[in-house]
Amino acid sequence: MDTSSAGIQEPFDLIRLSLNERVFVKLRGDRELTGVLHAYDGHMNLIMSAVEETIMIVDPAEGGQGSVNYVKRKMDMLFVRGDGVILVSPPSRT
Amino acid sequence: MDSLIPFTTSGSLVDCVDRKMLVVLRDGRKLFGVLRSYDQFANLVLEDTVERIYHQDVFAEQWVGLFLIRGENVVLLGEIDLDREDEVPLKQVEWDVLLPYHKLDTDMKKRREEFKAQVLHEQKGFSKEGGEGDGY
Amino acid sequence: MLIFSVFKTLTDQTVIVELKNDLLITGVLKSVDQFLNIRLDNIQVSDEARHPHMIAVKNCFIRGSVVRYVQIPADAVDTQLLEDATRREALNQTKR
Repeated sequence: MDTSSAGIQEPFDLIRLSLNERVFVKLRGDRELTGVLHAYDGHMNLIMSAVEETIMIVDPAEGGQGSVNYVKRKMDMLFVRGDGVILVSPPSRT
Repeated sequence: MDSLIPFTTSGSLVDCVDRKMLVVLRDGRKLFGVLRSYDQFANLVLEDTVERIYHQDVFAEQWVGLFLIRGENVVLLGEIDLDREDEVPLKQVEWDVLLPYHKLDTDMKKRREEFKAQVLHEQKGFSKEGGEGDGY
Repeated sequence: MLIFSVFKTLTDQTVIVELKNDLLITGVLKSVDQFLNIRLDNIQVSDEARHPHMIAVKNCFIRGSVVRYVQIPADAVDTQLLEDATRREALNQTKR
């Protein structure tokens, strides 16, 4: 994907160019997703497939500092409500 | 607007009117009452309402009467299966007896969530607003 | 409007709605509206012991704003069609 010539003029262009690509989505609360993006709208509602969800678990260590662990979960096809989305990141090109 | 209602989900609540319903609110409250009216925002009128609290396998209820509930506070509206209701394996106790236990449960949950949000905010860059008013 | 249309095509399919309070409800999608409020029939709540108030509930109305995810049957959507429709809608948005 050549972002320089494809013309990113507004924020949603970035996510349009990520259609049919694996994206990373960070959500409010305690969750992150990766999955193949198939649809979105202006609310940033998303439809993704082959989703892997990472849920953060905080173990309350005695004396303040908690340690963060996580569990993973897989889902075939998922609608994600836009109001929970913090960021969408296109596939890494590394 | 009236003509639009049958085509919306809140329009599909027609068959729930005059039935015993459960309403779960965003602050976690559970209300049981008879649905008398609703509109496209899911504003609800609930009559003969009781509030229920739970702790493990017991519950208690308190009469709260007639309500108009503003739609934005509604999480879920459930139709009670009256046959199934009789089979619910829970024991009812006095409200005043159960209230301290229920308060302990909710306080502990709130503290856990605040701690978690704080840790995730500091260590993992999550938004603390994740749990904002979503204690239901 | 796009997502609303997708949900309309999913009527009578079994879906899993996950709420922001971590409640998971499996049921048959009966209807949906422009706010993505959802009506589910014949529901089953996972971990019922933690949600005893749901035991006697058979059908329910879920306010769209409290939904985190909806898991949908993968074979019920044509992903190519979805992407094309999304590009078309995005184009219409910018032309406005």
